[in-house]
Amino acid sequence: MARRIRTTKNLAKRMDLQYFKQSHPLRRWRLWLSILVPTVAAGWFAVQRANSQKIYSSGPLSAAHSVLGRQCNVCHVTRLGLFRAKVSDDACSQCHNAPAHHADKVTFITSCGSCHIEHRGSPHLAKTDDSSCTQCHSNLLTRSGGPQFARVVRDFDKQHPEFAALRPGGRDPGQIKLNHYAHLRPHLAGPAGPVQMDCQDCHRVTAMDSGWPYSQPGSAPNPLPVADGMGDHLRHSRSRDHMLPILYVNQCAGCHVKDLQFDNRFDQAAPHDKPEVVQQFLVQKYSEYFASHPRALSEAGARERLLPGAITSQQATTPLMIPHNRQDWIDQQVMLADRLLFDKGCKLCHIMIQGRGALPTVAKSSIPRRWFLHAEFSHDAHGLLTCPACHDRTPESRETADILLPGISSCRNCHEDGGPRHDAASGRCSECHAYHDWTKEQPTKGTFTIPQLRATASP
Amino acid sequence: MRIDQTHRLWFIATMAGLVVAAAIYVPYSRTAPQAASGGTATGLIYGSLASVCMLFAGLLGARKQVPVWRIGRAQTWMRAHLWLGSVSFPLILFHSGFHFGVGLTRALMWLLVIVFVSGIVGAMLQHFMPRLTTERIPLETIYEQIGRVRSQLVAEAQTVIDEVSAALAGNVSQATAQQRAASASAGTMGGVTVASGLQVDEGASVQLQEFFRRQMQPYIAQRGSKGMQLADRNRSQSMFQQLRLLLPPNLHPAIEDLENICEEKRELDQQTYYHRILHGWLLVHIPASYALLLLGTVHAVMALRY
Repeated sequence: MARRIRTTKNLAKRMDLQYFKQSHPLRRWRLWLSILVPTVAAGWFAVQRANSQKIYSSGPLSAAHSVLGRQCNVCHVTRLGLFRAKVSDDACSQCHNAPAHHADKVTFITSCGSCHIEHRGSPHLAKTDDSSCTQCHSNLLTRSGGPQFARVVRDFDKQHPEFAALRPGGRDPGQIKLNHYAHLRPHLAGPAGPVQMDCQDCHRVTAMDSGWPYSQPGSAPNPLPVADGMGDHLRHSRSRDHMLPILYVNQCAGCHVKDLQFDNRFDQAAPHDKPEVVQQFLVQKYSEYFASHPRALSEAGARERLLPGAITSQQATTPLMIPHNRQDWIDQQVMLADRLLFDKGCKLCHIMIQGRGALPTVAKSSIPRRWFLHAEFSHDAHGLLTCPACHDRTPESRETADILLPGISSCRNCHEDGGPRHDAASGRCSECHAYHDWTKEQPTKGTFTIPQLRATASP
Repeated sequence: MRIDQTHRLWFIATMAGLVVAAAIYVPYSRTAPQAASGGTATGLIYGSLASVCMLFAGLLGARKQVPVWRIGRAQTWMRAHLWLGSVSFPLILFHSGFHFGVGLTRALMWLLVIVFVSGIVGAMLQHFMPRLTTERIPLETIYEQIGRVRSQLVAEAQTVIDEVSAALAGNVSQATAQQRAASASAGTMGGVTVASGLQVDEGASVQLQEFFRRQMQPYIAQRGSKGMQLADRNRSQSMFQQLRLLLPPNLHPAIEDLENICEEKRELDQQTYYHRILHGWLLVHIPASYALLLLGTVHAVMALRY
């Protein structure tokens, strides 16, 4: 019986030499799938394209623009039946009035889309990248040549100038004699006993609902409602960012109303107003007193004044004349009250300028409303910090001229260009600076109907 | 195709290109006013380079359709396909700024991922599967000829069975008168029932035919081995051992032939399995590549037009 022998020749004889021409399951599958998959892909594209132009979208819209997701034409303006991938500024200005800053000074105005990146989801639209700013500010050129601001600003970490107020030669322009050190001392004499003042007793971002915390009811005038004056009627206001202005009636009167008391015969203190108004008030008060006290002429000449301390003016050493009639008496009383108020009470805080007239003038307080004129800072957003954490020189400051603004190095403790990725607060330009000059913002008028926006009807 | 020393130049060139592309991308992505995206000039350059790489990689299919064309060696084309296809993926990521986007761009990115990953899987499989096949399947044949070989194995087995049956029948027919008488007188010996050698031969022939008809032929003839006892090598060995007990020793070589045929069938099944693994990824890679090229062309036209 012959054995089965596997030789190369035998094996070769097994083969059909035309095998490669025959169809094979794997090849057949490959062929059909190679036809089917691209066909399905093309069909999917055709169906998507028939429904909307969203198929061309390069990414998700920001939340603010997501309502426009079905109508690409709203921004990608149709020209001759075709939409454009590049969105013109005209399309943006249909809804947004956002004036460029220094439009009259810079050498070119960048387009909206070059800074506000759409189709990247929400975070990117408003939070513009630093490169949007540094494309100009890394070497700032203006039409007039020299820039008003630093020529080279590349990043917050390394190439950003110190804040303007803190540069050499800067001083607080305020004319109010305020000693922070004295006010923050422990056991400060308050109207109802010793108090320990805190920064927020005077510096607040929201209006006070009640009087100053340490004042006694009725001892000081009621606080005034304070508008922040920063245009909170505008959409882009940051009304809780800034400290409210310091007003005598709100922040000072609780303790310092006694400094405006001029005569112990009257409970009412002199008004915190211009010298002319104070003078008028005094004349009125003493006239009323004389009318109700016919024996006033025979009373002791100079009443003891409420405020202690030496009065240094020349008038203080002049012996008083005995009044002979009503007018003399009123003049003498008003003169004494003037001396007490203008030479002592007012001078405690104000700079009094003695001019040629009978009454001095009060130097304008000139307390800066904002220190950062070209940047935004939100005290509200930094509420987790103690005030001296940044304003570290404040507790020891004795002079009004001291600038107590924290320097850029203080900000850099927390803020870095890298931002949240590096476990630090963002140091991007847009954290503090706004490109648009919102003071020039104009109201816009809507131009779309709901069906036009939602693609529920033909526009 | 194995990635070996012969790929060194391609590897170096590809890595150099990738390093240059990455070195350009890092400052570009940090300074681009619009952030890194396909719409910027740099992004368009990345996209164009990646498109060229993908198109060239796709041309391998056309090159294979016409193997007689003398446009470079097949190995060179394959290397180009491998390395240019690989580098196109990071280039597209640079093009898109590592964003997948939505709509068409997202579909394209996922197609690219599918093509890239299936290609990597394919390259890895081609690295070790052929060697594994050679080691484990000594009787490997041309994959497309497996069906034909199976039918030949059935014929060979049938021939062996016929020869064995004929031999067994010959033993009975050629028995001497004395042998037949001995066989006839056989029945009981000392109270023990015995069978004669002639009776054994007739039964063995029937059992062999039955074994072939019910077990061996279906196993060899059918594609795969689902539900077949002979597919298990141990079980197969015990079955053939039983056959050897039935048959006289002079026919054992024939049983060995039958066992070898079954072993060859097992290897053919194993080869089929390995082949599907080795080439199955192409069922994903090639169709996805065509879809990618088609939609990529649409994307390029739309991007350049608008």
